[in-house]
Amino acid sequence: MIDFKNVTKIYGGEVKAVDDITMSVNEGEFVILLGPSGCGKTTLLRMVNQLETITDGEINVNGQNVKEMDKIKMRRNIGYVIQSNGLFPNMTIEKNTMIVPDLLGWDRKKKRDRFNYLMDLIGLNPDEYRKRYPHELSGGQQQRIGVARAMASDPPVMLMDEPFGALDPIIREKVQDEFLTIQKEVKKTILFVSHDIDEAVKMGDKISLLRQGQIMQYASPTEMLHRPKNDFVSEFIGKDRVLRSMSLYTVNDLVEALGLKSKEEDIQDTKEITIDTSLRVALSMLLNKEADELLITDDQGEAHGSLTFDLIETFINREVRGA
Amino acid sequence: MMNSKKIIAYIVRITLWALVIAFFWWAISENMFDKIFNEPETFKGLLTAHIQLTVISAGLAILTSLPLGILITRPWFRKSEWLIVNIANLGQTIPSLAVLALAMSFLGIGMPTAIVALYVYSLLPVLQNTIAGLDSVQPEMKDAAKGMGMTPLQILFRVELPNASSSILAGIRTAVVLNIGTAALAYLIGGGGLGVWIFTGIQLYDNQTLISGAIPVTLLAVLVDFIFRGLQYVLVPKGNRLATKAVTD
Repeated sequence: MIDFKNVTKIYGGEVKAVDDITMSVNEGEFVILLGPSGCGKTTLLRMVNQLETITDGEINVNGQNVKEMDKIKMRRNIGYVIQSNGLFPNMTIEKNTMIVPDLLGWDRKKKRDRFNYLMDLIGLNPDEYRKRYPHELSGGQQQRIGVARAMASDPPVMLMDEPFGALDPIIREKVQDEFLTIQKEVKKTILFVSHDIDEAVKMGDKISLLRQGQIMQYASPTEMLHRPKNDFVSEFIGKDRVLRSMSLYTVNDLVEALGLKSKEEDIQDTKEITIDTSLRVALSMLLNKEADELLITDDQGEAHGSLTFDLIETFINREVRGA
Repeated sequence: MMNSKKIIAYIVRITLWALVIAFFWWAISENMFDKIFNEPETFKGLLTAHIQLTVISAGLAILTSLPLGILITRPWFRKSEWLIVNIANLGQTIPSLAVLALAMSFLGIGMPTAIVALYVYSLLPVLQNTIAGLDSVQPEMKDAAKGMGMTPLQILFRVELPNASSSILAGIRTAVVLNIGTAALAYLIGGGGLGVWIFTGIQLYDNQTLISGAIPVTLLAVLVDFIFRGLQYVLVPKGNRLATKAVTD
């Protein structure tokens, strides 16, 4: 869907912001461009919709070279979200959201229906917000509108430049979760810039870790956490990468791989959690001494067995160390 | 804190209004406005001339400065911004009387000369506020607009101008109100207007003539200021008004 071929960006004839990058993003894939500031991730993103010129190399979107496309037309067909949402204070929420459909000349009825659909999708009441103005909304709400706006004309590709970076941690988590749910439904091809490894691991199907304009590793989060390609990668993802990787699994993954211990009657100190709980949460509960064993139940509340510290250790050995 | 400030503000306001009322009381009881009623035709003529001076010069200044301000904030003109702003600044540093005198030495006396001088003098407030307003539009907003596929003209009319409207209108208001006052000087180069009575009054120590000229000028300035504030309320998008209110509250 998006193919980068030997893409290079040089500023002012000297500074290489992006250095010979070749990678491809498949249709429906959620790819994170991750890296420290100044690694060229935003420049790479902005070259896709030609907000930055391409010094050398070629970017193809849907098999078409972006350089040969009409800039204005192609931008209307690519969703774009930035960190400080970029909503226009002079327009109502409905107007803001429907900018691209407006530019494309949709009729009123079609725009209204689309607005209602999008607002339902992001969990805001369309009639309550239609006539309101951006500054009347909280930061989290504004950012959600920013996402809705990018999806307004239902573009197949979305570019997101640290869209949740300015939100406080609690709201960010929530908006991230919501966006993942939305993505499951809409299946967009997404290029997403982030500097936050936790966000990258949580959101991405694949992560492209950049440094000084070059790709250090392009792999799935599991692959990157478990098999970092070089020192920079392992340093960037941190010493706690094993712990971090636990958030990629749910208790269910462990059950499928190892099964559970049958519940012992004599152990009093247990706590119930559901089978789709993240393994990271389960591990934290055990470490916190909240319980010696965790009683795993499914959606119907039926008990499956107990999860213990030993079981998680075995699982880690298996998955992480690749045993 | 808030309350004592409010009380002081009230006291100042009430005192001012009391002074204004006292002044009018005195002026009316001393028959200071008689000249207006005795020579209504002359008054009408002077008032019309005064309004003509103001409207034509300010109108031309807006028609020049607004497009100019838009033009020099475009990317391909950015580098010349300082030059044009400096030239306009120069126009403002020269005292208004000197502008009139200079205009007279080139164009002779009469109303057209006065209009040219007033025009030059009103260019800067409009230009400055247009540039400041357009510059204050956040780059992120323009970036988002561009990234969504707006053409440069669409960005200008849908994003930049609406968000700069408050500042631009304030500049126009300043220019027009200043202009009403300055237009009184037009008399000095035979430009007409209510300045005729004001300066005659000064020269003849004739309070009646002086006040019959000065008060209408003042009232005109206050009225126009009021109208423009109303206009600002109508023309500035509601979302921006709410946003400014949220910041100042």
